[in-house]
Amino acid sequence: MAENAVVQSDSWIWGWLSWSRSSTTMLRAAEKKILSCLKTAYRGWYVDIGPVVGNADKIWTISLNEESPKTPIVLLHGLGAGVALWCLNLDGLAAQRPVYAIDLLGFGRSSRPDFSNDAKEAESQLVRSVEEWRREMQLERVVLLGHSMGGYLAAAYAMKYPERVKHLILADPWGFPEKPSDYASKSNVPLWVKAIAFVVQPLNPLWAVRVAGPFGQWLIESTRPDIVKKFTPLLKEDVGIIAQYIHQCNAQTPSGESAFHAMMHGFGWAKYPIVKRMDQLKDDIPITLLYGSRSWVDNTVGDIIKQKRSNSYVNVQVISGAGHHVYADKSETFNKHILEACELCDEIEKPTSSNVNLKITDDSDEYAAKDDEEGSKVDRIEPPELTSSRPRST
Amino acid sequence: MNLSFAGCGFLGIYHVGVAVCFKKYAPHLLLDKISGASAGAIAACALLLDLPLGEITSNVLRLAREARQRTLGPFSPSFNVQDILLEGLTKFLPDDAHLIVSGKLHISLTRVYDGKNVIVSQYNSKDDLLQALLASSFIPLFSGLLPPRFHGIRYMDGGFSDNLPTLDENTITVSPFCGESDICPRDVSSQLFHINFANTSIELSKQNIYRFARILFPPNPEILSNMCKQGFDDALRFLHRNNLINCTRCLAVQSTFVVSETIDEGMEYDPECSECKMHRQEALVANLPETVMTIFQDAIDSANKGLVNWLFKHRSVKLLSLLSLPYILPADVVYATFTNLVGNKVETRTLEYRVIGNILRTPQQAIVCANHLTCPSRFVLNAPKLTKNLVKMIKYFMEQISSIFPGVNVYYQPMPQTINCQLAITEYGSSIYDIEAAHPNELCKKSKTNLNLRLHYDERQPWKDYKRQSNCVVNIADSTTFDDTFENILQVTSDQEAVMVWYYMDDNNKVQVTEIYDVTDTERQAILSPDEVEANTKLQFDEWDEPTWLSDHTLAEVVTESLYTDEDQHSLEDLSDISLEDDFLDKEGSNIFSDPESEWGMGRSAVVQIEQTSSPPDSRPEVDQPSTSNL
Repeated sequence: MAENAVVQSDSWIWGWLSWSRSSTTMLRAAEKKILSCLKTAYRGWYVDIGPVVGNADKIWTISLNEESPKTPIVLLHGLGAGVALWCLNLDGLAAQRPVYAIDLLGFGRSSRPDFSNDAKEAESQLVRSVEEWRREMQLERVVLLGHSMGGYLAAAYAMKYPERVKHLILADPWGFPEKPSDYASKSNVPLWVKAIAFVVQPLNPLWAVRVAGPFGQWLIESTRPDIVKKFTPLLKEDVGIIAQYIHQCNAQTPSGESAFHAMMHGFGWAKYPIVKRMDQLKDDIPITLLYGSRSWVDNTVGDIIKQKRSNSYVNVQVISGAGHHVYADKSETFNKHILEACELCDEIEKPTSSNVNLKITDDSDEYAAKDDEEGSKVDRIEPPELTSSRPRST
Repeated sequence: MNLSFAGCGFLGIYHVGVAVCFKKYAPHLLLDKISGASAGAIAACALLLDLPLGEITSNVLRLAREARQRTLGPFSPSFNVQDILLEGLTKFLPDDAHLIVSGKLHISLTRVYDGKNVIVSQYNSKDDLLQALLASSFIPLFSGLLPPRFHGIRYMDGGFSDNLPTLDENTITVSPFCGESDICPRDVSSQLFHINFANTSIELSKQNIYRFARILFPPNPEILSNMCKQGFDDALRFLHRNNLINCTRCLAVQSTFVVSETIDEGMEYDPECSECKMHRQEALVANLPETVMTIFQDAIDSANKGLVNWLFKHRSVKLLSLLSLPYILPADVVYATFTNLVGNKVETRTLEYRVIGNILRTPQQAIVCANHLTCPSRFVLNAPKLTKNLVKMIKYFMEQISSIFPGVNVYYQPMPQTINCQLAITEYGSSIYDIEAAHPNELCKKSKTNLNLRLHYDERQPWKDYKRQSNCVVNIADSTTFDDTFENILQVTSDQEAVMVWYYMDDNNKVQVTEIYDVTDTERQAILSPDEVEANTKLQFDEWDEPTWLSDHTLAEVVTESLYTDEDQHSLEDLSDISLEDDFLDKEGSNIFSDPESEWGMGRSAVVQIEQTSSPPDSRPEVDQPSTSNL
């Protein structure tokens, strides 16, 4: 495989040092097995984006329904994930428009160059890689969807290249709120806990997976059985492959991970939180924010954004019963919201808070209309099955 | 909607806070299945049985204190957590507990021989239930050596296989660890990583690591109190976010919707209802009820005050106990091995251990009542626990002394005098109501419904063991015509916006009215016509300062523990409101009671002539009342 050779070439030293059973072929096999469950035909290939960070960077891309003339949607995954984890959403989204999912530079099957240690620089390197990829793909304007860390990058991308983003969809995005200043003083944790935190802090976030070596997959299976379980509807009994895929994604050179580590400040906070520079984002970019109700991501940020961008379109939805992996927890509700947002940007060239309101009340779209009428209030949409089965007797 | 409580050892105090909140603000959520593991199972059981949460709290605190007293903490061999649990549970669970919770309480257990998760929900007897609860909180080595049996199979803590059993999609998960649960503490951290331990999502944050350490080592009462409060706040936030806080009226209306199946949005938040709004507003600033807080305060006080505590908290004494450990420990181990081998008390009932059980049963019981160290044989047996018993004895004497000299002890809040309220209302059809003693001669008029309430409230003792006697008699006489009064009631109630009224005609052609309880003067005035207000101002009778009174004496204890009495009382008051207004419209009789408060004033002065205050209107909305007691 010519493609694999590219990725392998810069990691042979690591191959010597590593005692984990990881290889790009295993990753490829795992990904293929997951994607084979899709109902829509997909195409996967490496997009050569040239010297962005390394000498010749390649980005692994999969695409579905490329023929559709509608605005394409581009999916950016979160930390430690890859294209295959979108498997629950790809079919639903591809039914209506072209879908592109990429492994971000330094993650998954894409090449893993060394990123800068500076937060700003690492961020712009990642953003530039996405832009180069878009240029190479010759996509004029896209709907950009990012989950977790992908959401952070999507927002950063929209700030830098606003003319390319037709609609920004952020699913449980990381790195939005500011680190509270009294954080350290407020928490009365004992010394020994602080000591552990101090030791772990300089390590890359997913260090444990690599340290565990051959037990890495077992580690993922035993610590996050819930992630694996989320994919049962699609993968049925082959669901164990998810743990293998996640392990293979993260067992290799952690270059993207160290880029993330550079952007991080303290324990999981962003060094340059998006909320602080929201004003750099142009007003005419509509934003849809999707949060899981159980997620740890602070969804009060949605309200803050809504207030700050009072004259542009901001739609905040909290999907009840979903955790951080909102796309997998409630994939159908998630897909529905995404497609609604995409349709909106098809119909109206530049949605703002005023003209969307007008259009939606015509359509009598209950969710979005309610959301707009009530201004800064966050709507809580419950999946229909939840409301219907709820007991009402007192 | 089902509830699920995570197992969490001593962090179970968090569940107490959640339970208090649910009881208070969302009792309708407690009607379905509740599941749990370990401490969560006990919390679920307590919630289903509607056990007094105050006493549960003190029991948990007692367990924590016992564990903290020893040098090795809960790992001291002689600390038998199962025994203490069993003792508490047998005391609190009613005899028909298994009948109430069967089918509702789902306890997660781990089968010992294959490590598989088992969820049980059927209990044949109270012992069955006790055994399931004990098995679910059995941590090997920590709790004992031999896991208890349930239906003949040995089980251990459900936390090893499924710590947060979810029965279906719509389960509200409650966990004291910050993570992806519906109700959990939200730490101020942006930690990215979670682990999923036995179905419980746990964020890898500093606070969670600390909490994890506290599962088996109970922290001091202050921290426990904070955890409880955190549980209350988190549950409240969840209810508020999901618009699950409703007033009694809205719930009642929804229940009728269910019957008719006409309107599907019964559960939707109704922003029009001002009572709901008020309720929500009140909930936003709510705090843990007094019942629970007092217990925490007592526990904190008793742990911090007094000479003995000071002495035992001193570093030198701690050092001393640490140094004496090598000498005490062997004896402790021997003692504990013997008692643990026998298993817990429930186990001794099974055939297998009858022989050893019979031999060792007597000394075991002696340990339980170790308060009275008189018998020398017991003394010998208790040698390893000597220090602890000495402490207990000293404490006992200290308590005696402080009760002899009341000035020394300042913990007890003196409560008000006897509250005696007698109230009888006869109303509905005709415009007649009667307050006994005030208008005895008006009784002869035609009446349809006669409600008698007598509340006797004696509060001279410390609040823990107050005696209260209340009875409520409802007589319903046969009804004749009452179209006009129904119209009247309808008229009055539709005119009033601020006060919520809930009325309907039942099958027997009777009107049932419940007026949402409301005490603020401004709101009262809003509903009255100008002349009524004028009459009201003329009838200023009341020097009684309600806010101050309430701040001095919250009635939380009464309210939480005598729900039904209160509900009846409220509805009675409310009924009298309406009737009084009807009366006013009819201009009947020489004494015009133009508004509810004047009526109350009269009622109070007339009825409670012996005492100076009647049972005051409770300023809290109907949160504490079961919503459907009138249905």
